[in-house]
Amino acid sequence: MTGDRPIGVLIAALGGEGGGVLTDWIVRAAMRSDLPVQSSSLPGVAQRTGATTYYVEIFPRTHRALEGRRPVLGLYPVAGAIDLMIATELLEAGRAMREGFVSPERTTLVAATHRVYATVEKMAMGDGRAAAEPILDAARRMPATAILFDPGADDRARSLPLNAIMLGAAAGSGTLPIPEDAFAQSIRDSGIAVEANLAGFDLGLRLARGEVVLAAPKSPAPTEAVAEGWPADLAAALDGLPGFMSDLAAAGVRRLVNYQDADYARLYLARLSRLAAEVRDQAALREAARHLALWMAYDDIVRVADLKSRPDRYRRVRDEVGAKAGEPVRVVEHFSPGVEEVSALLTPALGKRLFAWAERRNLLDRLSISLHVESTSLSGYWRLRLLAGLRRWRRRTWRFAEEQALIERWLGAIGAAAEKHPRLAREVAECARLVKGYGDTHRRGHGNLLRILDAVAAGRLDADGVARAREAALADPDGKAIGRVLDQRANSVTFSTNPAARREPQGG
Amino acid sequence: MERSYAKEIALLRLGEGEMFEGEGILAIAKGLLQAGVSYVGGYQGAPVSHLMDVFADARGLLGELGVHFESCANEAAAAALLGASINYPLRGAAVWKSTVGTNVASDALSNLASAGVVGGTVIILGEDYGQGASIIQERTHAFAMKSQMWLIDPRPDHARFVDLIDEAFALSEASSTPVMMEFRIRACHMHGRFACKDNRPPAVSHHSPLREPVYDYGRICLPPSTYAQEKHKIEVRLPAALDFIRKRGLNEIFPGRHDDIGIVVQGGLYNTVVRALQQLDLADAFGGTDVPIMVLNVTYPLVPDEVSDFCAGKRAVLLVEEGQPDYLEQALNAILRRAGSDTAVVGKAVLPMAGEYTAEAVLTGVVRFLEGSLPKGVDLTAAIRVLDRVVAAKSRAADLISGELPRRPPGFCTGCPERPVFSAMKLVEREVGKVHVSADIGCHSFSTLEPFNLGNTILGYGLGLSGAPGVGANFDRRVVSVMGDGGFWHNGLTSGVAGAVFNDTDGVLLIVENGYTSATGQQHIPSSEARRDRSPVSIERAVRAMGVRWVRTARSYDLGRMRKILREAMTTAEKGLKVIVARGECQLARQRRIKPLTRRRLAAGQRVVRTRYGVDESVCTGDHSCIRLSGCPSLTLKDNPDPLRRDPIAHVNDDCVGCGLCGEVADAARLCPSFYRADVIRNPGWWDRLRDGLRNRLVPALRGVE
Repeated sequence: MTGDRPIGVLIAALGGEGGGVLTDWIVRAAMRSDLPVQSSSLPGVAQRTGATTYYVEIFPRTHRALEGRRPVLGLYPVAGAIDLMIATELLEAGRAMREGFVSPERTTLVAATHRVYATVEKMAMGDGRAAAEPILDAARRMPATAILFDPGADDRARSLPLNAIMLGAAAGSGTLPIPEDAFAQSIRDSGIAVEANLAGFDLGLRLARGEVVLAAPKSPAPTEAVAEGWPADLAAALDGLPGFMSDLAAAGVRRLVNYQDADYARLYLARLSRLAAEVRDQAALREAARHLALWMAYDDIVRVADLKSRPDRYRRVRDEVGAKAGEPVRVVEHFSPGVEEVSALLTPALGKRLFAWAERRNLLDRLSISLHVESTSLSGYWRLRLLAGLRRWRRRTWRFAEEQALIERWLGAIGAAAEKHPRLAREVAECARLVKGYGDTHRRGHGNLLRILDAVAAGRLDADGVARAREAALADPDGKAIGRVLDQRANSVTFSTNPAARREPQGG
Repeated sequence: MERSYAKEIALLRLGEGEMFEGEGILAIAKGLLQAGVSYVGGYQGAPVSHLMDVFADARGLLGELGVHFESCANEAAAAALLGASINYPLRGAAVWKSTVGTNVASDALSNLASAGVVGGTVIILGEDYGQGASIIQERTHAFAMKSQMWLIDPRPDHARFVDLIDEAFALSEASSTPVMMEFRIRACHMHGRFACKDNRPPAVSHHSPLREPVYDYGRICLPPSTYAQEKHKIEVRLPAALDFIRKRGLNEIFPGRHDDIGIVVQGGLYNTVVRALQQLDLADAFGGTDVPIMVLNVTYPLVPDEVSDFCAGKRAVLLVEEGQPDYLEQALNAILRRAGSDTAVVGKAVLPMAGEYTAEAVLTGVVRFLEGSLPKGVDLTAAIRVLDRVVAAKSRAADLISGELPRRPPGFCTGCPERPVFSAMKLVEREVGKVHVSADIGCHSFSTLEPFNLGNTILGYGLGLSGAPGVGANFDRRVVSVMGDGGFWHNGLTSGVAGAVFNDTDGVLLIVENGYTSATGQQHIPSSEARRDRSPVSIERAVRAMGVRWVRTARSYDLGRMRKILREAMTTAEKGLKVIVARGECQLARQRRIKPLTRRRLAAGQRVVRTRYGVDESVCTGDHSCIRLSGCPSLTLKDNPDPLRRDPIAHVNDDCVGCGLCGEVADAARLCPSFYRADVIRNPGWWDRLRDGLRNRLVPALRGVE
């Protein structure tokens, strides 16, 4: 019983992307071509940003030719019998392949290969994103034919409706017995955003034919401009470091000259060369160079005010919000320094007193100045510049003293670890990754780092243990996972952190 | 709803011979009008919301025909509405989502089924089962059996749907019994076509109204009538129904040459079975089959002699029955054994006991059945090769893409007004400790997912508060119940609030008021402000009228205030129920209203301010705390542009609607100063340009930027 068989089209999309409209366009185009067609979907709550699918079956002979005979069309996508698989996102293309909907013998895969991250990927404390490369590789190798493009790589593609681009690519794939113009007519008939949709359709069509290629613009890694220029001795000191760390060290020097001054960059290089004398492992040294620069340029209100009032920043904001020439943009900063941040800027004696006072009265989380500064206004801008100008005072602050002490402790720990095992040094260096963020986040990161350094100093953690503890610290914000790792390591000796250290003011 | 259904209403107006092309649920609506229905009521829910929406918008057409339509307060009300057909020859229909709606309707349904009907009574059920279902997985079949209502499960085909609706009314009238018709979710959303008939104005309507009430104690559900009604069901109504089903040929038989075996299938699964046979080269594209198929368009009751006849002379039949328990398999076995037949019934032995019958599940079941029943002249090697190829493709994909793929469940939309409520709750938990949350049905159930994971139980629609006291009484801190405005009006006001006041329940009720039943498609409710034809009922006043003294209403986006109120509700010494009404219009509905307006203003050259948020990439350190407290789809990640940093940074994409939650969260949780708000002024006026020009001169950093 062979003969004509229906053509199966499966569309995987995310709720809110217009997958239903795309399905409708295809159905209308089939109807216009007098072909029997049936579609089904699972909208319901899947509309709300979740992964969803739409399924279309088209019979390749016209109603006219069938003379009243009616094919039985399916409501379910059939693994192994999909002719055209459309995925509006890479992970969803991967899901379709895993579920067997991309058959090497039969399926044409039309996929947008950009990533729209799922909440579980986004909420991870470090980098929780699923690896894209294996999915992309499979998308190239699995299907009978692959039409893949990254609409995120191209400004014009980004500005056009994705579902219309997918329609164009589907039309151009040659898998459907429907003339291209019938699809375009579907768009015209719907009467909604016709121009933009037709432009998207056209781009998709040309993508499928291979007439255009969307390639990610190779943006050179941004190098920080240094206003004052390089003092000669800095260049010389840089040259004195091992060659394999020079790129990172140079970036670090630039960062610190901008952050504070040339003297501060000299301190950075001095610390690095000291470390290079103690540690042999290249990876450990590279990580240390990177983290040391970041840590020394710790984020405080001075730094933030400076970053937020630079000319290149205003340009970036205009770009990001898509303001066209002649369109004024008002920018308001969400900026609310609290007691921690203010005491961090005072001298150690004063800062400690203010902080202790606020802590006694339980005001740490309650007392803050909500500065919704309009940085594009005259007064707002100058307030930010005034704050940024405090960098000359920074070396005298409580926070500065505390950070330098902790940095020395960490550097010492790397050196000590190098004596035991090169990998241990590398893992300890990598632990500075925990120090980031502001306020709570920062306090937590510091606490976790200290717990690990204490455990290493006491000989309770080897290289694997450090790596595990670090990953655990990044696994949840409550500190449960790291607690488990460290307690286990401590052989049921209750691990206690240094409470004094944990209370250090670490705001930003 | 902010949508217009003019196109859909035009479909409902089609006349004799005209071709309907559209969604299944609309074909069903058209079928009701063609069947001469007098009144329709229902409660929204996927996949039948669309029918409710279109009828609500089609008052003009319905008025002309004389069809009365009600948006009922809940499914129990819709079922009770059908009581009109107990005494009068009125054709009536009710619509809801099953099985959840059928659960709610059960009280009225039992009474309706016991009393029996004079006018045809049909219940349209959107069967939300399987992949993508938002509800508990149960079968409507059980309701049919326990109350003795007939259950139609039509073969997915628009023309068949419409014919069977007409037949269902006739069956109901012939057997004095309400008839349920279940339409699976895919069938409701299925796009197809059929040739229309004219709409039939109901025999009785406000155009030609009833003149006299009918009194018949025999129709009242009180003893001794109820005893007589039960007997009547068995002695009169069931035989009448069997007779009707047999005579009208409601079930279909497709013969095939391998007549030593056969397949018996629920109507709704027919296409999937044919597709499996096609893949095995045992059927053609038009349903011509080598294996005989019996399609049960009526799955309850089974007609014993019909099925016995089909099975006669067959060694084995495959019974394709979705869901559990296996009522049909048990019934078919009983019928065949009583008839002395030795035909083997193979069902759940080769098909899944639980879960949706997808194409792959049915294909696998058919192949296993064929392997076991060894029909004459079927080449099994080809059949098995089909399955092998699917397995091979899957395992190759698993080799190339190893590991678990991140799941992507539905969640709160971009700018959803419900998200800030749960952000506030997360923050308050830091102060008062983890809270037991009795959640409810609605978009707000997404709070149970990442990143909030707030919600310990869901007990039913509008039952968030009712589900709390048992825990609350035994817990050392207050329990928070959640309810949407939809659930509140569905039954939460009485079963929740009135009950809690009556019982002096000490707890917190959070009512998330977004102005619609949003999860089902933004239908209006008594408190909807978007309804222009009447003034909304205030939830706060309704709650106070119930006797609640502690009530606070706040704008949900005002995170600081939400947090303060929640903290107060959790810690105040005042006993009793504390109600917080968090207000903010459903963002989907709002955008649907605002977007066309904005487009028009822009096109006309008028001033438009577009507000959106952003993250300073040099300030963000990539910790993602902001995401853990928000989960907004437009708050996402991008590669860190800083050569010294690795972890991806937060990034607000262009879908941002400017609700401001990310900035508020950063302030309230004292996260980081990387968020900014940007107001882009499109078509600026002379004042904007003047101010901007001055500013650019006085702020050095802005010079030359534009």
